[in-house]
Amino acid sequence: MGAVKIFTKEQCPKCPAAKDVGDRLKMTGVKVIDYDLGTIEGLAEAAFYGVMATPTIIVEDGEDNELASWRGTVPTSQEIEEMLRADGLFSP
Amino acid sequence: MEKIEEGKVLRRDNETTDMALFVRTSDEQFSGWDRQRIVDALIRETEVDVVTAQEISREVEELIASSTISMVTSPLIRELVDAKLIERGLEQERKRHTRLGMPLYDVDQLILHPNKENANVPHGPEATNLTLAERIKKEYALLSVFSEEVADAHMRGDIHLHDLGFIDRPYCSGQSLEYIKRFGLSLPNSIAMAKPAKHAEVLLAHMVKFAAALQSNFAGAIGWDAVNLFFAPYLVGMRDEEIKQLAQMMIFEFSQQAVARGGQAIFTDLNLYWEIPRHFEDVPAIGPMGKYTGKTYSQYEHEAQRFAWFLFEVFKEGDGSGRPFFFPKPLVHITEKFFRTRGHMEFLHHICDVASEKGNTYFVFDRGETAKVSECCRLSFKLDASDLEDAKQPWKMRYCALQNVTLNLPRIGYLSGGDDRSLFERIEEFMDMAVRAHLEKKTFIEKLLSCGENGPLALLAMERDGSSYLRMHRASYLIGMVGLNELVQIHTGRQMSESKEPFKFGLKVIAHMKLLTDQLSERHGMHFVLEQTPAESTAYRFAKLDLQYHKQEAPRVVKGDISHGEVYYTNSTYLNNSAVMNPIERVRQEGLFHPLIEAGALTHIWLGETKPSKESLANFVMKTFKQTQNDQIAFSPEFTTCNRCHRTSRGLAEVCSYCGSRDVDGITRITGYFTRISSWNKGKIGELRDRYRNQGFLRVEGRDERSEGEKVFQIQRP
Repeated sequence: MGAVKIFTKEQCPKCPAAKDVGDRLKMTGVKVIDYDLGTIEGLAEAAFYGVMATPTIIVEDGEDNELASWRGTVPTSQEIEEMLRADGLFSP
Repeated sequence: MEKIEEGKVLRRDNETTDMALFVRTSDEQFSGWDRQRIVDALIRETEVDVVTAQEISREVEELIASSTISMVTSPLIRELVDAKLIERGLEQERKRHTRLGMPLYDVDQLILHPNKENANVPHGPEATNLTLAERIKKEYALLSVFSEEVADAHMRGDIHLHDLGFIDRPYCSGQSLEYIKRFGLSLPNSIAMAKPAKHAEVLLAHMVKFAAALQSNFAGAIGWDAVNLFFAPYLVGMRDEEIKQLAQMMIFEFSQQAVARGGQAIFTDLNLYWEIPRHFEDVPAIGPMGKYTGKTYSQYEHEAQRFAWFLFEVFKEGDGSGRPFFFPKPLVHITEKFFRTRGHMEFLHHICDVASEKGNTYFVFDRGETAKVSECCRLSFKLDASDLEDAKQPWKMRYCALQNVTLNLPRIGYLSGGDDRSLFERIEEFMDMAVRAHLEKKTFIEKLLSCGENGPLALLAMERDGSSYLRMHRASYLIGMVGLNELVQIHTGRQMSESKEPFKFGLKVIAHMKLLTDQLSERHGMHFVLEQTPAESTAYRFAKLDLQYHKQEAPRVVKGDISHGEVYYTNSTYLNNSAVMNPIERVRQEGLFHPLIEAGALTHIWLGETKPSKESLANFVMKTFKQTQNDQIAFSPEFTTCNRCHRTSRGLAEVCSYCGSRDVDGITRITGYFTRISSWNKGKIGELRDRYRNQGFLRVEGRDERSEGEKVFQIQRP
């Protein structure tokens, strides 16, 4: 079972939209983990995935392997859901 | 020192003692015994009251009078006075009364034996002078510049204060040739002023002299920005042979500067670009006589490229014996624009050929909007918006790191007992101590700079462009780290290269440090930044101290060969040197730390005797740029140079493959520069034995030129 990882930070104009996408995905049962780059956990995880821009949304396979990412842009929750379905990671 | 004449006679009354005794003073004179001089010194230096001073002077006098001492020296008297201060519990006064210096035995050893703390210091009278001065300034720094808490933290090995022997100078710097192109060579205290250069050779002469002057005012490296570009307006109309000759002059000038400060070659970095960096494209070019040429730098791409090309031709040829040049270091910036610039693949193959053949090339990756000036072993000054504005007047682009303080990360691991919270709190404590050290050094340097052009840092205080040469408001304060790998090993039981969890824990530690530097910068209005400390001697020093202070745990963690004292901690955020892994994977994994380490990071790819094809290295460089976050890489071959026939062969061997002599020396990269292995400290020798040399991972063109000599990897122990 994979997860959607959402990387945001304070004073980032597009980050609220990314958080909204995360909230919508959570409501459909997708595992979403939020990371704030102003925290140790958040910054370390961002470094692990080479996140250089916020917001960034990464879909991983449960073993921290990146399957897809949106860096500096915000996809719709449907786009992510479709991607998860295609990879067999999500079957609501 | 003073000498007691034969037939010491003492005649005392209430106030005076008439001692037929002479003191050898530090003014190289014999002085008659005069107790009042003790009193005066005590009052002047320690501010004790007169009565105490007189009491002490009498007691010391009696001690000398009643002794059988046949020679009295100023240092001896001072020590006896210090003992009396201690008896009275006057600790602070004793500290103020300290005499700095070295034991006779140590000076004797120093003059006779080479210094191994810095492999870039040769052995000779000038080097001895440098080391003697450094020893005294080190003591001075720890007693007088830094607080007792900071000094003790350094002595214990919680932190390391770098270049204490150069306490009265900033650490290292990034320079712009445009300054001397525009203002000529006009140095404070110089007996002659030179107007801006008319010819390329004169500009080079100015550059070399200015570099030597800067070396006298900075502890470490002198990096030059966009050297090939800024020379370009002087190269118009020059033939290829002339440009190659200039390239040769530049490299030989900087490689043979071992007649400069303390016999130490100037640690010179040449930042080079194949393309015209975006921030210089529209900048009006300065040409001969300091005049604007009427063109912008974008119109000098051809000359800049020719110069860069010939510099690497010279690097490929090596010195007169075919050895790699140790200095200057060429750092080529690889950017998006590089790959859009005509001829980039030919140039990339050219510099990769040099990297494989001689190892000189450093590949500095500036992705996206990033622009930087690189220098030292890996330090870089990232240019922000105000710097890019300064780029319109490039002579303003002068940067410095005021000091470097490194944290002993394994020590934090030992002290934290496996508890996460304790570990992160201790990192904060150590960082606070580092910041305190920076504040104290800043105060000291500001005091020296406040004396202006008549003071000790006249060169840095000169104001040729209306502001002080050293731009204190742009200074960086470096916080380095040693032994992240061992900290993780102590805390999690595994090293970072062993699995993902310890690796991710390492990232958390550095993320914590990065966030702390940001907070501390805001709090103090200073620019604290993380740097991968080169740690040439610090990785050894910390390991030795921890074997002493953490006897139970350290032997299981410290790397190297404990039985031979060749111990070290893994440098900065590196993975274990001996871990067998694909080099591109090492570059990728180590590179994940680099965005957190703003002031510079580097991954080494040790080649051993392997000589990969230039195509294979070019492919590797492109992959690194496009698929990783790595800031900088360097490929390091190894060589054996013969001290008898002076020829150089590939790989580390015990016997010269040409003449069979056993009088050979190895050459390879120690931290961020090449040097002879015989000058390395024991910790670095331990690391050298452990280095994984990537055999089999990089494609070799044809057979390596192995000769008949013994290409056995063995480093002889003294």
